[in-house]
Amino acid sequence: MKFLEYEAKKIFSEYGIPVPKSVLIRTPEELSGQMDRLGSEFVLKAQVDVGGRGKAGGILMADRKNGVATAKELFGKTIKCLPVREVLAEERLPIQHEYYLSVAVDRSTKEALVLFADAGGVDIESLAKNSPDAVRRVSIPLLMHDLPPFMIRDLLGKAPKEIGPVINKLYRVFCEKDAILAEINPLVTTPAGVFAADAKLIIDDNALGRQGITANRDLTEREREAEKHGFSYVELDGSIGVIGNGAGLTMATLDLIEFYGSQAANFLDVGGGAEQERVMQAVKLVAAVPSVKVIVVNLLGGITRCDEVARGIIQADVSQPVIVRLAGTNEEEGRKLLDGKGYRMLNTMDQVVKAAVEAVQ
Amino acid sequence: MIYGDKKTGIIVTGATGKQGAFHIALMNEYARSVGGRGVVAGVTPGKGGQEVAGVPVYNSIREALREQDATASVLFVPGFAAGDSIMEAANAGLELVVAITEHIPVHDTMKAISFATLNGCAVVGPNCPGLLSPGEVKMGIMPSHLLSRGNIGVISRSGTLTYEIVDELTRAGLGQSTVVGIGGDPVIGQTFVDVLERFEQDPLTKAVVIVGEVGGNLEEEGAASTDLPLAAYIAGVSAPPEKRMGHAGAIIEGGEGDARSKIERLKKRGVPVASRPSEIPRLIKELI
Repeated sequence: MKFLEYEAKKIFSEYGIPVPKSVLIRTPEELSGQMDRLGSEFVLKAQVDVGGRGKAGGILMADRKNGVATAKELFGKTIKCLPVREVLAEERLPIQHEYYLSVAVDRSTKEALVLFADAGGVDIESLAKNSPDAVRRVSIPLLMHDLPPFMIRDLLGKAPKEIGPVINKLYRVFCEKDAILAEINPLVTTPAGVFAADAKLIIDDNALGRQGITANRDLTEREREAEKHGFSYVELDGSIGVIGNGAGLTMATLDLIEFYGSQAANFLDVGGGAEQERVMQAVKLVAAVPSVKVIVVNLLGGITRCDEVARGIIQADVSQPVIVRLAGTNEEEGRKLLDGKGYRMLNTMDQVVKAAVEAVQ
Repeated sequence: MIYGDKKTGIIVTGATGKQGAFHIALMNEYARSVGGRGVVAGVTPGKGGQEVAGVPVYNSIREALREQDATASVLFVPGFAAGDSIMEAANAGLELVVAITEHIPVHDTMKAISFATLNGCAVVGPNCPGLLSPGEVKMGIMPSHLLSRGNIGVISRSGTLTYEIVDELTRAGLGQSTVVGIGGDPVIGQTFVDVLERFEQDPLTKAVVIVGEVGGNLEEEGAASTDLPLAAYIAGVSAPPEKRMGHAGAIIEGGEGDARSKIERLKKRGVPVASRPSEIPRLIKELI
């Protein structure tokens, strides 16, 4: 789950990483009484979860005279389709130099990857491509509580030593918050010291519980509803509803729909043990999406009971046609249950997907 | 075979749960059918002295090893406890842990894998169906009736999609040497590279099917590491960016790990890539 900038900064500062003085406002008027705390010039930053926020007009400069008016302007905007509901007003820092710092999960080494770059406020991937010498990286096993000093020296190169403690503090945030990414871009030096001018924090969805987070905000309403039932669900743009068991098989079903020239309306993985009740709920959930014209059910497994699945489909009793591919135990019984009730049961994945694509064309 | 054979003794952790008990029975049914040893002990802390599916249960792996001879463990414990179980197995001296468990916090996985590596223990998974060498050994939850013995190795990040492809291979008369589900999480123990290294040492394996998906670049790393003939299928061509497609690891992040560029990179290495699962047998037949 992604944190917004102000939430990430609050956490970073709890770990001793200096952040600019700031005020969070939810209406432009809230700013009027608070400007004294920010100095004569300040920055207004829309708290929306999008990349390239600055270029999209989500960051505006302001001063005491035009502060409220500028805030009004920002609250009136939508940044890449998202409305601005919260704005972080921050003191304007006298920046001497900008750097990049991040700690992330590295799939290849299975360790934390710490990246430090001599240029900040930039896209790190293109920086790494264009000037590889400016980007330094170390990989550290999570069994280590702190970064050893040599790693910090390697990361810093000729950058000021005062940045060193910030690197280790961000590593501690990463470890203790179950982060998959903790990023400061830019990390800036000023006459008053080092500051995290921006902050990004993404927490592992599998660790939300122990981090005290009850609801994953990154999900849409329907995705959250699906999660309650234990389904993995993703909304897509097409008209063929898809229910599968197992993420890979469901994804492959989506791809096959594209292969035959159409598009799926959703991805729904019912997970293991597709019982009557769960299948019924899954079919109902998908059928409730207005764009769904036909539903493909693709279930394969040694222990999936086809008769249970068939009963679930019949019980859901939805208006759209349901085309089923079932492979597992009690296959014949399942087929008998579905036969003659307006459902189509076919033997292979290619067949069901082809039939569904033909049905919507 | 790789990772184990008929002689391999297996300890199941999380033995007394519904999943554990169910799959101990299935693994041992398979072991009996091939004349193997199968699951020799179960472990659940606090449940020592019980019996599950005819197998004695112990409080810890160390306790089990005092009475039973085993080198591998298969994990059915819940996500929050799985990292601990992997480390326990590695610390007790087991050579292999197969972690079936889904929803392990990724930091727990990273720590457990680092710890297991220090102890010389290989981890398959987490979030995987385990592995099966037809005619030899089953460690995990794969439906054995879909597999047949032969020369094709299969390595997959998925569960049911693996069964789909194995089923296609079996129907086409292409038996399998070992099928390994390496797991759908972003961080996994044995990667394509590690399993391919084992397949290279395996006289039975003549060609390998790689079943990958969106997220990361483990498939390409694997393809670059081996001289074995490979064919691949990559799921997620239609997956939108920044959305997690069921598996925790199946996500296109920061413009990286999308299926099309993966497929391009594999093809550049000379690896034929199937545009749908049913094409895999034809691609394999062209290789051998």
